[in-house]
Amino acid sequence: MQKPIPRRRFLRGSGVLLGLPWMASMAETMAAAKPDASGSQNGDPQPPLRTAFLYFPNGVWEKDWVPESEGTDYELSPSLEPLADLKDDFLVLSGLDKKHSHGGDGHYAKTANYLTGMPVAKTTGKDISSGGISIDQLIAAKVGDQTPLPSLELGIDPVISGIDSNVGYTRLYGSHISWQSPTRPIAKAINPRVVYERLFGKRMKTSTPEAKSYQNLLDYVLEDARLVRGKLSRDDQFKMDEYLDSVREVEKRIEFATRDQSHRERYEAERDRIVSGHALEIPETGTPGDFRQHIDLMLDMMVLAFQTDSTRVASFMFANDVSGRSFSFLDGVHGGHHELSHHENKEEKISQYQLINRWHTEQFARMLRKMKAVKEGESTLLDNSMIMFGSSFSDGNRHDPDNLPLLLAGRGGGTIQPGRHIAAKGQVPVCNLYLSMAKRYGLDLERFGDSEAELTELADA
Amino acid sequence: MFPAMPLACFLFRCVVFAACVAAPILSIADDDPFAAWRKEYETAIYPILDQACSECHRGADAEGFDLEQFGASEKLQKNATVWEEVAKRVRLNEMPPEGSPQLNDEQKALVHRWFDSRPDDNECERLANEETQAWYRGVVMSRRLTRTEYLNAIRDLVGMPVDESLQVPSDGSGGEGFDTAGDALFTSALHIEQYLAVSNQVITDALNAGGQSSLAGGLLTNITSEADAREAINQFARRAWRRPVDGSEVDRLMTLMNASQQSGMPIREATAYAFKAILVSPNFLFVVETESEAGGVQPLTPHQMATRLALFLWSSIPDETLMLAADANELATDEQIISQMHRMLADDRSRALGENFGLQWLGLSQFEGESKPDTTLFPDFDERLAEDMREEAVRTVWNVFRDDRPMMELIDADSIHANSTLASYYGLDASEQGLTQTDDSETWKRIPLSDRRRGGVITLAAVLTRSSYGHRTSPVLRGRWVLEEVLGGRVPPPPPGVPALEEAEADHAATLREQLEIHRKDPQCAACHNRMDPIGFGLENFDAIGRWRTEQDGQSIDSSGKLPSGETFSGPEELKQLLLRRSGEFKKHFVKKLYGFALGRSLNKFDKCVVDESLEALDANDQRATVILETIVTSYPFRNRYFKPANP
Repeated sequence: MQKPIPRRRFLRGSGVLLGLPWMASMAETMAAAKPDASGSQNGDPQPPLRTAFLYFPNGVWEKDWVPESEGTDYELSPSLEPLADLKDDFLVLSGLDKKHSHGGDGHYAKTANYLTGMPVAKTTGKDISSGGISIDQLIAAKVGDQTPLPSLELGIDPVISGIDSNVGYTRLYGSHISWQSPTRPIAKAINPRVVYERLFGKRMKTSTPEAKSYQNLLDYVLEDARLVRGKLSRDDQFKMDEYLDSVREVEKRIEFATRDQSHRERYEAERDRIVSGHALEIPETGTPGDFRQHIDLMLDMMVLAFQTDSTRVASFMFANDVSGRSFSFLDGVHGGHHELSHHENKEEKISQYQLINRWHTEQFARMLRKMKAVKEGESTLLDNSMIMFGSSFSDGNRHDPDNLPLLLAGRGGGTIQPGRHIAAKGQVPVCNLYLSMAKRYGLDLERFGDSEAELTELADA
Repeated sequence: MFPAMPLACFLFRCVVFAACVAAPILSIADDDPFAAWRKEYETAIYPILDQACSECHRGADAEGFDLEQFGASEKLQKNATVWEEVAKRVRLNEMPPEGSPQLNDEQKALVHRWFDSRPDDNECERLANEETQAWYRGVVMSRRLTRTEYLNAIRDLVGMPVDESLQVPSDGSGGEGFDTAGDALFTSALHIEQYLAVSNQVITDALNAGGQSSLAGGLLTNITSEADAREAINQFARRAWRRPVDGSEVDRLMTLMNASQQSGMPIREATAYAFKAILVSPNFLFVVETESEAGGVQPLTPHQMATRLALFLWSSIPDETLMLAADANELATDEQIISQMHRMLADDRSRALGENFGLQWLGLSQFEGESKPDTTLFPDFDERLAEDMREEAVRTVWNVFRDDRPMMELIDADSIHANSTLASYYGLDASEQGLTQTDDSETWKRIPLSDRRRGGVITLAAVLTRSSYGHRTSPVLRGRWVLEEVLGGRVPPPPPGVPALEEAEADHAATLREQLEIHRKDPQCAACHNRMDPIGFGLENFDAIGRWRTEQDGQSIDSSGKLPSGETFSGPEELKQLLLRRSGEFKKHFVKKLYGFALGRSLNKFDKCVVDESLEALDANDQRATVILETIVTSYPFRNRYFKPANP
């Protein structure tokens, strides 16, 4: 059982480093001429650790995914070839298992718990549960108060509507990998303009009076919610709690944005300088017509969010599960993703399925290159990150949740030794990986999900 | 494939039966009409089902119907819906599937007679007693407004278009498959941020536009004194929160207004600021159904009732007329409710029945985003066409209610709703109807058909496109769509471990039809594909974007089909006739969908009463679609709810 996470308390009047984005304290140290530094912790601040979990739907063609050999001298498989120039920057993880997904249907019971590892409740609506908090949210609960945004949940598609009464699951399970609690999926942002505004817009800037005026308004609606809550039945109260918690989160963001004015302004200036150096082509309505541009924009903004220390935790869904998106723009592909993932062992379908897998790897590679190009002192942004990329089951025809197709890029701030293929033997829970990642954030956990031990192989061969 | 049931297990079953059945019979046999029916099952029916069904329908892999589980004495009576489905499938000859041992005529007769002799439960009469108060237990009733409802409510209150980039997150579904299910509506920080941004934008716009352009705009003009501000705030909160507002509530909003004034805002702007707060308050964002002190099953207050009506028929909040009716307690009798309902149907906002309920029912709520026909193969398909297809679907469902048409027109109609683009897409001569090529696409007309190829939901271009792959049609997907969304049937996913088509065999099969025929040789596949594929083949005259065609790759289209029941047909017109003969299944499914949408939760066994009542009302009223709405809005579960006792 997961212990409930204590609600994060407001950070009041904190010191210089505490509660300021790393980049600001970095700027602080660089402007070192200043003699006083008001009790600032000595020396160069360490770049923080960033983590992202990327998800693509419908599994992979394993034979072209899993490299044949192990260790450092392994040879890249065809689906991983786009990562050739980055071979020393990521790990191939094979053989990890999500045992609580062995039952249930082919998709929903696999995807909602991609990052929880626990059993997904079979339901078409009542008592929805992903079995546990997702690992990204657990990490965000620990470090989220050090950045303007605790975490970033991104996607491309709106929530899938409808229920699948044949398999007995609501389809919304296929649309959420980030769960704030077992019973509360987090809405993901799919409109690039919304994301841009959240991260870099003027809404939350110290210099605008809006922040202050929002504060009064939010205090008012919080009080409203408390009054309403008292008059509701138990189940309805839980829903009002979601509202209350969400309003408090927004309040915290405003609180964050309005304290430590001078540092904050320096930070914003530095952030805006970085952001303006990137041409983010966001259309008027926010969402590009071509989903490839849409994905580019989202991943670019995720990298910028990490670079500017706007958040340290993110998740991203290339598409919802069971996505039937047409990949006909790829040479040799005619048809939708889900349809082709049900390859029925036919060669013509497999080759198209593999091309789609490979395309996703290319997008991942593109993102890693951007991260690698960002210098952070002696290291790079990628070095100071753990970027997981994968799907919630392996073969699209069989929907089997063992041997999950997963890659982990970055050096985790020097705690991970990339450039290898680690093939887990026996049924090693994927939660071992999640536990190891949580530990790197200093989370004092005995276990996460159904973990049995840490995945010690991450550190050394 | 499965071992025969071990003897010990069988003996155990007998013991269980003896314990459960024999004992009560001695004492209450006369009071229990089910006793004889259960006995008949044990002695005559179970042996037949055991022999014919247990190979697949026993144990964990039983595909929804586990003979072991549902044959147990008490379940036999309680799980009426499961047994109803079993009866239907056996009657339609869908079970046992082709290739498995069949029932002989004598066995069939016995089984059918037993199904028919099921005693009535009379549960409707026990609706509101103590025992049934648990209907709502554990169901979220005070739910958040859905994204659709929120945007419609903003439109009705403020009249300002919401900036497209201020996207409020979308919702998933629960209950009977709709976003109105409170259990499946979640709230994240992102929601709050977007609510803030939207209310900020629309109220600022209304303030700048001024005048009587909208409720908010009108209320925000001519505010020069504190008293003006108070009155405007009171009025706006009343409408936004759908109820009279307490003096103390207005006081709190005035405090907010005053604070803004003190920070230098002019009084009009400060009042607008309070308006923004009204639109972020949970009183606006949630359908607050506060607990009744009395506890137990209680009627909704008139204002709660008004809100339910508006959400159901308009996917929005009550207008002034409905609010006044609630103020005057004029939503108390059936006549009053029905009269309001008809007034609301005549209003354009009833379009939501097509756009919100209709599209969710048809699985088209994300039609434009999800349908991506391969544009190299279908260059004619673009966003404009997709929009028109979607609009046709909206109008098809909406108009059945607004014009009070017989509901079977959803299956087969002698006219369609089209604009000039769609009419020519369908090859119809629209000029007779006054639609010309130069007409803008905003003009929609009802266009009579000379044949019945089109008309009804099954042959909507949107439906035909949605149930196709990007590059070709799929008789399997289309057949499944008709079975599920029209007939309310269930089609389980293929069982794991079903061998893929034999490569060699499949290579020989030239056409899709031949490939699927090979597929159906396996009884495991046949069980479902015999039901789906023939229906889909009946629609093969429509290509993957819903255009009529008579040949494909030089071969003429074969649109004939044969169902397990032995019924044969060819083409969409005959298919629709066949579906009309199964109208009972459709009507029941449709009523359940509509009712589940209205209540925002899964239906339970007591809801069957309202479903049955609706079906009876349809038969008594020439199948006019609005009688379903009348039955639902005056039904007990729609007008009442369960409240926890004040001090448990």
